[in-house]
Amino acid sequence: MTAGTGAPAHGLEIVDAGDGRMIISMGPQHPSTHGVLQVITELEGETVLRADPEIGYLHTGIEKSAENLFWTQASTVIERMDYLSPLSNACAFIMGVEQLLGITGDIPVRAQQARVLLCELHRIASHCVWLGTGGIDLGAISGFFYAFDLRERILDLTELSGGARMHPNYLRIGGLRDDLPDGFLRKLDELIAMYYPRMHDLRALLQKNPILQDRMIDVGILGADDAIAWGITGPALRATGVPYDVRRAFPYSGYEQYEFDVVTRTEGDAYARFMVRLDEMDQSMRIIEQVRRKLETPGPVMIADTKFAPPPKETIALSMEALIHHFKIVSESFRVPPGDVYQAIEGPRGELGYYIVSNGDNRPWRVRTRPPSMYNLQVLKKIAVGEYIADMVVMIGSLDPVFGEVDR
Amino acid sequence: MPSSQTPPAGATALDPTAVRPDIDDARIIRVTPAEVRATLERLKSEGFAMLLDIGGADYPGREPRFDVVYHLIVLSGAARTVAAVGRPERVRVLCGVPEADPTVPTMSDLWPAADWAEREVYDLFGLRFSGHPDLRRIQMPVEWEGHPLRKDYPLRGPARERTPRPSFALKSNVAAGTPASGRTAAALQRQIAAARGQTPKDDVK
Amino acid sequence: MAVNELPGGQFFLAKLDDVARWAQSSSVWPLTMGLACCAIEMMTATASEYDIARFGSEVFRASPRQADLMIVSGRVAQKMAPVVRRLWEQMADPKWVISMGACASSGGVFDNYAIVQGVDTIVPVDVYVPGCPPTPDGLLYAVNLIQQQIRQGGRGGILARA
Repeated sequence: MTAGTGAPAHGLEIVDAGDGRMIISMGPQHPSTHGVLQVITELEGETVLRADPEIGYLHTGIEKSAENLFWTQASTVIERMDYLSPLSNACAFIMGVEQLLGITGDIPVRAQQARVLLCELHRIASHCVWLGTGGIDLGAISGFFYAFDLRERILDLTELSGGARMHPNYLRIGGLRDDLPDGFLRKLDELIAMYYPRMHDLRALLQKNPILQDRMIDVGILGADDAIAWGITGPALRATGVPYDVRRAFPYSGYEQYEFDVVTRTEGDAYARFMVRLDEMDQSMRIIEQVRRKLETPGPVMIADTKFAPPPKETIALSMEALIHHFKIVSESFRVPPGDVYQAIEGPRGELGYYIVSNGDNRPWRVRTRPPSMYNLQVLKKIAVGEYIADMVVMIGSLDPVFGEVDR
Repeated sequence: MPSSQTPPAGATALDPTAVRPDIDDARIIRVTPAEVRATLERLKSEGFAMLLDIGGADYPGREPRFDVVYHLIVLSGAARTVAAVGRPERVRVLCGVPEADPTVPTMSDLWPAADWAEREVYDLFGLRFSGHPDLRRIQMPVEWEGHPLRKDYPLRGPARERTPRPSFALKSNVAAGTPASGRTAAALQRQIAAARGQTPKDDVK
Repeated sequence: MAVNELPGGQFFLAKLDDVARWAQSSSVWPLTMGLACCAIEMMTATASEYDIARFGSEVFRASPRQADLMIVSGRVAQKMAPVVRRLWEQMADPKWVISMGACASSGGVFDNYAIVQGVDTIVPVDVYVPGCPPTPDGLLYAVNLIQQQIRQGGRGGILARA
């Protein structure tokens, strides 16, 4: 993408705008754009006059792939959208399908608790990546190592329960694939014990750091009404003062039982978004501790209805029915009654919603994602105007986009 | 991937949106492209200040073929407590867009959030949004032809539609589905026929 | 290499190529080509638990002019493919490519219109790492294999060609 000479970049009209003005392309390969983002920036000296984010560099056709996979298989590709908190995507999709099936009330309590636990763990893990990479963008490299070590412990738990560090496909329609293994609760306790000292260290490194404050305070200011008009949700909206959290507004998977605060700030700048996410991590740990106590009670983790739930592996060798059910579910999945549903959860980035349409077949007809990152990122067009180019990185980091979700 | 042996689906609905399952997710309003602008302006004035999402859907067996799906939610910038936000009302506006005239008025002047969402629906479905300031492709490269999320667009793209699956088979000297031992269905049939002392059928490929 | 001990000091005898290869293999600096989920595991490989720096990849360079190794970590979309190619062309010789993960190696779970079915259709690949995503251990092993390839004389040395 050259400025002013040659063909216009991607259909943009480049007009000779006079002295001091430059059009530069930030990305799509850039150390600090948090993924494959291209921001075509018009600068006057160092001040941004116009910022045009170009997305689509990670368009994966996940929604089209999901239309060609069974209901049970679709969650595998859907997990790969927001790859920083994969189980959140799966949770939202699966709960939407369960609504269409009409089995939302039959999901066992333990499965709901495990879903809440894993969604909150993945929220913390996602915020760890945001914190670490956001720090690196500003030169605070030590925080990266602290944050990623915390994330390692969470990935250990994900691997222990689901079998893989990322994308475990552990949440299934009807519950979980398997009960939490032995030793999981003990490891979870170790995580809870190491969390508070680690967050204390991270806050000591970053929160009152004068350089970080200097770079983040009054940068990328967004007002509440603007945020709502631009479709902003999640920490970015709560940093403007509006306490909209899907876990409180539309409680799912038993969230109404847990005590937690909806963290808000009013300044609406990058530092406010930073603080909201930090405090949100603590609130997530608060929820995790409450769920941990409830997980002491054993119970089933999959609904009893063998139409949806594969029978336990031990029974397949002994029971003809179990064998046939398993075969049917694996080879052609079940059919979901026709209808459409919008199911939203509070993902780490905001309201992650799925508009799922079934035409009665054994595959989804349409899975439309409501991608919080895409709407959050769009507001960059507005908040970048008038800021310095050096702040662009701060603003993108504070909006915390994940391009697997923006581009799908 | 579902195998080619998957039986065809049973009773499937041509218009799943007409089936209203008993789910409390949103108030549902169905409109035509002529009504959609007025409906959304009215909803916005009633307090649906946030446009959650604009999406598209393709129902080839149905007239009108496409749906543009708007999700709105009641939210106020003045809300400062969780109680004030409460359980906001959601509304889903389904606008049926015919294939013959795939145009819908833009909402990007009402909600700036609509900008990229409408570009994406244009890119992936081919529906035009009249009045949109900058309607161009957003996910696919600018020179791409076709609208991928339409149901008549092949999953693997027109270039690779008829090449063997899985794709890495193209790179090796082994055709897809054929293990290195050469044990194709045809070879197996010949083997069985030979074992039975029969001549193998000629029409077996 | 032969070691001759003379009074007053030690001397090594070696071929210049071997020394060059030893230096190159000990300081392979990757390019920041993080695309998707594999990029997160690549970042984790730089973090303290897996620490790729102990293998010589002390820094990841954002500029292709300064990088030796392109780790294509993640799915390559249609829009991104020319960018990947251009970045590879901008890298100076000798350069190596690791195709990290199933998507970069073959398209992975996404056999559809949007994903390039294997980055080796765009750039030549030296090591493929399977996994979705591979664990950081897998990536470290791939870097070790690259180092072996360099030391055994694949590409690299004083008269290195691409």
